[in-house]
Amino acid sequence: MTQLTVLLLLLPVAGFAITALVGRRLGASSWVPAVAAIVATWAVAMVVVYGQLSGGNGDTGLQVTLYRWIPAGAFTIDFNLAVDNLTAALLIVVTTVGMLVHVYSIGYMAHDPGRWRFFAYLNFFMFSMLLLVLAGNFLLLFAAWELVGLSSYLLIGFWYRRHSAALAAKKAFLVNRVGDVGFALGIMAVWSTVGTLNFTDVFNLLPAKLASGAIQPWEMTGIALLLFCGAVGKSAQFPLHVWLPDAMEGPTPVSALIHAATMVNAGVYFVARANPIFSQSGSAMVIVAAIGIFTALLAASIALTQTDIKRVLAYSTLSQLGYMFAALGVGAYVAAIFHLMAHGFFKGLLFLDSGSVIHGVHDEQDMNRMGGLWRKLPVTHATMLVGTLAIAGIPPLAGFFSKDEILGQSFKAGFLWVWIVGIGVAGLTAFYMFRLMGKTFYGPSHVDPAVEPQVHESPRSMTVPLVLLAIPSALLGLGLGLPFGAGAISSWLDPVFAHAEQTLGRSPESFSLFGLDGALILISVTVAAVGTIAGMRLFGFHWPFTARETAPLPDRVAAITARLRPLYTASFHKWWFDDLNDLIFVRFGSRLANGAWWFDRTVVDGTVNGTGRFIQRTGREVRQIQTGHVQNYALGIALGLLVVAGGYLLLAGR
Amino acid sequence: MSQNLDAYLVLSALLFCIGVFGFLARRNAISMLMCIELMLNAVNLAILAFGAFVPSLHGNAAVIALIVMAVAAGEATVGLAIVIAIYRNRRTPLVDEYAQMRD
Amino acid sequence: MLSIPSTIPLLGWTWNDLLFLILAGGLLGSALMVVLGRDIIRCGLWMIVCFLFLAGLYVLLGNPLVAGAQVLVYIGAISVLILFAVMLTQSKAGPARLVFHHQAWAAALAAIGLAVVLVIVDGATSWPLAQPDRTATATTDVASKLFSDFVLPFEVVSVLLLAAVIGGVFLAKKDDAPRSDSDI
Repeated sequence: MTQLTVLLLLLPVAGFAITALVGRRLGASSWVPAVAAIVATWAVAMVVVYGQLSGGNGDTGLQVTLYRWIPAGAFTIDFNLAVDNLTAALLIVVTTVGMLVHVYSIGYMAHDPGRWRFFAYLNFFMFSMLLLVLAGNFLLLFAAWELVGLSSYLLIGFWYRRHSAALAAKKAFLVNRVGDVGFALGIMAVWSTVGTLNFTDVFNLLPAKLASGAIQPWEMTGIALLLFCGAVGKSAQFPLHVWLPDAMEGPTPVSALIHAATMVNAGVYFVARANPIFSQSGSAMVIVAAIGIFTALLAASIALTQTDIKRVLAYSTLSQLGYMFAALGVGAYVAAIFHLMAHGFFKGLLFLDSGSVIHGVHDEQDMNRMGGLWRKLPVTHATMLVGTLAIAGIPPLAGFFSKDEILGQSFKAGFLWVWIVGIGVAGLTAFYMFRLMGKTFYGPSHVDPAVEPQVHESPRSMTVPLVLLAIPSALLGLGLGLPFGAGAISSWLDPVFAHAEQTLGRSPESFSLFGLDGALILISVTVAAVGTIAGMRLFGFHWPFTARETAPLPDRVAAITARLRPLYTASFHKWWFDDLNDLIFVRFGSRLANGAWWFDRTVVDGTVNGTGRFIQRTGREVRQIQTGHVQNYALGIALGLLVVAGGYLLLAGR
Repeated sequence: MSQNLDAYLVLSALLFCIGVFGFLARRNAISMLMCIELMLNAVNLAILAFGAFVPSLHGNAAVIALIVMAVAAGEATVGLAIVIAIYRNRRTPLVDEYAQMRD
Repeated sequence: MLSIPSTIPLLGWTWNDLLFLILAGGLLGSALMVVLGRDIIRCGLWMIVCFLFLAGLYVLLGNPLVAGAQVLVYIGAISVLILFAVMLTQSKAGPARLVFHHQAWAAALAAIGLAVVLVIVDGATSWPLAQPDRTATATTDVASKLFSDFVLPFEVVSVLLLAAVIGGVFLAKKDDAPRSDSDI
């Protein structure tokens, strides 16, 4: 089992190395080593997961120490990997979605001459992500954190000749970095208070240290918040959310893999992993929940008006991530991870679907120039419908189970405001997703007439992954979430979070379908349904397996838009966040930088150069003593003699 | 007055200082050499004055003075030879125009 | 026969004192003419006068031999040499600013200062006030001293004079061979 775990890391590295070194020469088959490596990784991962979840590794899970990374006296860090149930859950999502995205990319990038680079980067990303999930100590996780950020940069800016792509990659990296500052400080704080960075050690030592007063409560909150900064950056929560929509400049498989299913989940994974730290600080939890649910609302409000199909999905991702953080903040850890898994599948599906659509209409991403595509892209349409239903929270698909779990837990934990906003966002989610469906697939076709005849379904290499992703999107909830409150997911993850639940004083309750829980489910389903129906009516729908169609109502839409014009404008401009950032950091920042440059030039360089000039000038003046005339020197001797003799006389006289 | 050593020494000192002034103030190289001779003579005078007033030095003073004279003669010779050699090159006997090694 | 009074009537000086004063005054005056004169030939001639006065002073100090040597060597040889050099270098007379340096005033200050220092030193030291011994130094005494106590300086001086002669000849002779400008 140990070797298999190590293999999980080595296979993607090997794939990366081979593809990077010989990929160019392989030409059309440059995908082979990379995809083979990932399929192998998936297989190994399934074995590892099965071994872990079936209880094969005991209570503590699998600990693998490869070697001593930093032996520096008191500060020793090992390169150690840890596999427990939480890791297993993440492994399922990461490797499955990863594998399907790799297969999908075979078809999607078939016409791109740089595809060998693409596959190399993808493999490198898989390695980084797996390292992150498997890491057994804070420092190793941070290293993997940065590697994932690097991969994201490389992949967003994959079409590097495109100026907007290069800018977006830079933006993503920089905004991530801002969060990483807090993250690094948090790690340092952990080390200085607890004395070790190993996960198991830290979590074991923490309660004792807190009880004895070695760590103050405010220190605990501080550490938690600093660590949360990293999660805010990586998972694009407010206020560091601005990079995710721009990251859509990368190819669609990248968006699917990194910005929906895996990398952005790293923040959620980390907060879940560090739950002993977070659960010790009530104020930190509240802040996490607040930021999470606020992001959810903010993103949903922006998604209502966007016209680029990938942007809508990006904001949708932001919104769902907000849900996950809200769940973590209210203490519903299992629900958060459950939603993470479900979201990974259906968001990955949605993104790959959108890629298929874009591919079909020859690289058009504006929804206003789509429409009526359900006939021409049947498989894409069907799978996208499944995904949309999942995200909208319609039972019995996956999204319903996980989202409902979150909302129910927040209500029962007393976070009423989270519940209310969450319900609202659920409705908005359903609405804008069906808006997307309507504009893309239904109603009259607004496709560019020149492109119209060439609209076609995607090749098999792309549609098969779509179907394969649709299955868990539909069934994951049923598989893991039933029976309510006691499904497989709970049995998997409860042990991981048991300690935290205890600290928070939560006792496992029984699920009452005809009591409080049932009522909550009813409310959330109703809201989702309302949103769905509104979206369907306003933007069109085609009832599957029938010939019935609902036509879109553009006039109604225009009327509503006109009445809500200020809100519409604000939403369309993303609440002017990018402009705010530009004002503060770019304009003001560049003025500050210019001031610093002036200081450097005038004061610092002036001092240095001025010293040089001063010495030169004095040298030039003093040099004039060297006249070259002997008589001047002789006069100097005479005067010197006079001074010495006279001085001697005076002194001797005393 | 001539019974005092002081008088002779002061005289010698004054002569020496006149020589110093001339050496530092004149532009012509040969004038400088003349002033050197003045200085050497002042020294000679001092030596002979000591010889007269200090009994143990009486005989020695003359010898020393003669040797100083010989040295002065040699020095004047060589000095003048140098001045003539430089004059041939520079066409001027003025010291402050020998500025080849400056700058 | 007229009897010369042993001291000068009005001033009470001895004749030696008077002689000394005359010689000293002449010495200083001619020295000043040497350094302050504008025509260099005149300076040379005043230098000869200066040497003469010095010879007189040497006699007053009881050294006629040295006085004779002074006249022979300084006046007869060195001064002539200097005058030859003056003629060879066509040194011209001229106004003061051409004869004196810019630094003449500073030089004067230095010289005066030096004089003051020396006089003070002289005054501060207590010399033995013995009567001057004006007995002429016998030439035989000088000769025997020269070849016994002072034989080393004597020999060294002879070598020095040899070197001076050779050096002087070499430096002052005309070069017939063409030479590059990098020599002096």
